Amino acid sequence: MGKRSWRQEDDWLRQLRSGDHNAFAEFIDKYKETVFLCCRRMGLREDETEDVASETFLAAYKALRRYGGQAELSTWLWSIAYRQAVNYLRKNKRHRQLQTELDEEIVGTEEQAPLTQAQSREQQEIVWQAVNHLPRLWAVAVILHYRETKSIAEIAEIMRIRQNTVKTYLFRGREKLKQILSPVLRDEIDATG
Amino acid sequence: MPPDKLNEENFDHMLSQALQRHEEPVPPAFTDMMLRRVKQAEQQRILAHVVLQERLALAACIALASAIIIVAVAFPGTAIGALRGVAADLAGQGQAFVSRFGQAAEIFSGDWRFYAILASVLGFAVYSLVELFVGDRLRTA
Repeated sequence: MGKRSWRQEDDWLRQLRSGDHNAFAEFIDKYKETVFLCCRRMGLREDETEDVASETFLAAYKALRRYGGQAELSTWLWSIAYRQAVNYLRKNKRHRQLQTELDEEIVGTEEQAPLTQAQSREQQEIVWQAVNHLPRLWAVAVILHYRETKSIAEIAEIMRIRQNTVKTYLFRGREKLKQILSPVLRDEIDATG
Repeated sequence: MPPDKLNEENFDHMLSQALQRHEEPVPPAFTDMMLRRVKQAEQQRILAHVVLQERLALAACIALASAIIIVAVAFPGTAIGALRGVAADLAGQGQAFVSRFGQAAEIFSGDWRFYAILASVLGFAVYSLVELFVGDRLRTA
């Protein structure tokens, strides 16, 4: 999908809000990866991920008429996906574990197995594997900041937490990633730039 | 820069690049499946709306009938007086309406345009009734 002018984007948004199915299909294609990423990073299993992703898009379809453009569309959808995933975990009694992470009782205390340096592996895969080693809330914050280029305020809005907490998650996530990645990617990190 | 310290800016840059290049796998035909679900949800919403309207209409009928029965039982004199008044009023208006028919027939009799309009209206009514009851069968035959 190529870049569109603001007028085309505006028309597309109007169609989307009016319930146009073609516009909604384009919306799904544009954001399905993001929604699956959010669900998987929240620790949902594969079958659960597809269910929650479907529920997310259904909820978005119903709420699109009320979307007024206050937040970016991707931020708005992230917050729906995140909420759906948290609600799913809560309903399935797995929220206790998430709450524990939220309370930071076990965050970062688990010793993760060190990454093996496979020469043939792409750098991106190594980084992604490292992100998967993070506690899920840190990982979500890191993905939102570094992948989706969301601001601290936007991440706080999506995760419904204080901005200071977001900063803590990002700081700790980044430190942990450095700790995991530095033995593997030190040369590349120092050479980049 | 101390030798054991990573280049911070390069680290952030590398992290962003690597995460942005990541492609999250999505089941094939997810979009089609989602569109089917959306259409189903829309149909269910419309159906729920119709069911709600029917239930409201039924509730209104029951409430009106109950109110009439309660009024009739509680205030029989007033109810019978009101009913007689309504009946007399309707009868008066009915007579007036019938007499107006006679006047209209006298005025229009002999005017071919009146008969032409009447024939068109009756023809359209017959066509609508045929379309309503056997239109589908005629089209598919």
